[in-house]
Amino acid sequence: MGAYESIQNGRNGPALRVALVYMYTGFILFLLMGLLGLLMRMLHAELLRLPPQWYYRLMTLHGAGMVAAALLAAMGGGIAATSNRLTHDLRWLWTAYILYFVGVGLVPLAVLFGGFAAGWTIIYPLGVAYASGWTAWSTFAFLLGYLLVALGFAAYCIAMLQAVLRRYGSLSRALGWPVISGRAQPGEDVPYLQEVVATVVGICGLIAVLAGAAALVPYFAHNLNLTGLVDPLFVKEMIFLFGHTAVNLNIYLAAGLAYASLPAYTGRPWKTTPLSALGVNLVMIFVFLPYFHHLYQDFAQPVFLSAIGQFGSYGVGVPALLITVFGGLTLAYRSGMRWAVPTILTFVGFWGWVFGGIGAVVDSTIAVNQVFHNTLWVPAHFHTYYLLGAVALTWAYLYHLATELSGRHESRTSRLAAWLYGIGGAGFVMMFFTAGAAGQPRRFAVSIPSTGEQTWAFLATLFVLVLALGLLWLTYDLVTRLGPAWARARGRA
Amino acid sequence: MSGWAAFGVFLLLGAAWTAAWAFVAARSGGSPLGYEDVSRGAARVRRLLATPILLVLAVVYLVSLRWFPYPSFATQRLGPPSVRVEVRARQWAWELSRTEVPANQPVEFAATAVDVNHGFGIYSPSGRLVAQVQAMPAYVNRLVVSLPGPGTYTIRCLEYCGIPHHGMAATLEVK
Ligand code: HEM
Ligand SMILES: [Cu+2]
Repeated sequence: MGAYESIQNGRNGPALRVALVYMYTGFILFLLMGLLGLLMRMLHAELLRLPPQWYYRLMTLHGAGMVAAALLAAMGGGIAATSNRLTHDLRWLWTAYILYFVGVGLVPLAVLFGGFAAGWTIIYPLGVAYASGWTAWSTFAFLLGYLLVALGFAAYCIAMLQAVLRRYGSLSRALGWPVISGRAQPGEDVPYLQEVVATVVGICGLIAVLAGAAALVPYFAHNLNLTGLVDPLFVKEMIFLFGHTAVNLNIYLAAGLAYASLPAYTGRPWKTTPLSALGVNLVMIFVFLPYFHHLYQDFAQPVFLSAIGQFGSYGVGVPALLITVFGGLTLAYRSGMRWAVPTILTFVGFWGWVFGGIGAVVDSTIAVNQVFHNTLWVPAHFHTYYLLGAVALTWAYLYHLATELSGRHESRTSRLAAWLYGIGGAGFVMMFFTAGAAGQPRRFAVSIPSTGEQTWAFLATLFVLVLALGLLWLTYDLVTRLGPAWARARGRA
Repeated sequence: MSGWAAFGVFLLLGAAWTAAWAFVAARSGGSPLGYEDVSRGAARVRRLLATPILLVLAVVYLVSLRWFPYPSFATQRLGPPSVRVEVRARQWAWELSRTEVPANQPVEFAATAVDVNHGFGIYSPSGRLVAQVQAMPAYVNRLVVSLPGPGTYTIRCLEYCGIPHHGMAATLEVK
């Protein structure tokens, strides 16, 4: 295995085009939703005034739209990063895209025209309590949107599993188990790490979709008056099993992109070793355990489940830190690496993944969660490992892909822009953490004076503007690379 | 644990990680070293780090069990509650069976809701979040706490429950 294999292999042009469509769609959606995020910060800073229902509508749209955008872009990255060795069934991938796209489209429809504002997790039975301030049809449209997104994601998972099975014959080989157990024959066709990630995401993704269905069915049934109140604790468990798992898979998918791109800059291969493959596999167990931490404050949940939640939340960080991030840093350390936009964003991604992880571990300590649960600490930690973790890693890969395919060179300004993304983002999330520690609730249309939130939100607004400046420049780069990259993926130029 | 103490721990750990990260970043672009050598050194560092990290996590985990907020743990720590307050949440108001409780004594709040999920959050007179529990339909969640110092505490809703959610507040006199 060489240090780095180029993305194109002469046959994967069509798959790369699908990947570009997924990734650019995700990127544009991310920009739009980011703008809503800025508006919400300005509302808390009282630089802007709107009636409270608008805070909650923006919040609902932003949350659902961002999660969808980040996942879609990472899914596209997953296709590109595996396309030079795997053969994907493009019909499944296009079907997935269309289902996903239509589903995402229903979300702004429900929010902007139906006034839907139950938050992206629509904690049951809030969505069906129409007195809360939205129309019945908007709940229905929103749920339908989620259903289509879930189906699209399921189709994607199936396509990825098909592709790895076609090459490796069995799931156990695609998961790298022969390597982990030391029984791989010399010369055996061993999966690359990003292929192991694709397999794990395929399997866990389908399980998450089942949990999503278990939450959507009672919700739909209640909405159609087929049943009365379904056990709200059960539905809550399923909502978070789905939501937490989908969001975490997004992070692993994005980490898988670093396996594929970092070697291009460090000149060192990120090999499938027993340890690195084990790290990816452990995710399969750990991704399902921490979700109980969403229900710590539901004292009716059996205490042992909360205890498992704390155990899983502590545990999930260990392989991620000591195997994946550590492996990435080792790959870069004294490699004589070229600092380019993708490497800067990858480093930002490692930083945010771990920094947000620390915030998560602190908050997942049940004693601390007593005072952090549902404060801004929660958006603080997940924005850190989204915006500065998974999403940064995804944009690193997108920039790498677009640059390699288009053959463009990047400028110094582009590198500066990538650092601005990291610096602005870090300042923005630190303000969330501070306000959370001070007790400002999340999902709250107003700032509470005793928490100092108005000041934190003002500073956050400034940091978001720094971030936006960096993003604007990177957007310009990405847009100008799209045409030539598309042409190259068609086999022209 | 107070939020600020946890914030301090977080900042310390975050700073340590940021320093390690910056150390690697500063040495990634410069003079290259063979990957074999780097890998060997990295494996040593990893082994060195693994044990203390796992150990610290295990110890913190076990110690933190004592501070579980759940009724059986809290009662063990604080003693049996002398006062019980029934809390019913509805869109968008709190109904408390009593609005006056003694200071520095274990008090039980039995929280439920009639419509959707709400969060029962207790803020101290200085604005600090002291404790919370979910209030949801079909369940009763029991929170046992001892509220320090007398004064007027504010109850706020900590689970988003519809457009007027942020206005859903009540007061609690602690004497
Ligand atoms: C671009 C910069 C961003 C800004 C300025 C921003 C800002 C915000 C703000 C102010 C909130 C509301 C917090 C609250 O009141 O509870 C929020 C919520 C949220 N954000 Fe972001 N955000 C950004 C990026 C992202 C990204 C990249 C993601 C995920 C990929 C994301 C996902 C979410 C989610 C899931 C919520 C929760 C919505 C809910 O509570 O229903 N955000 N964001
Ligand atoms: Cu509420």
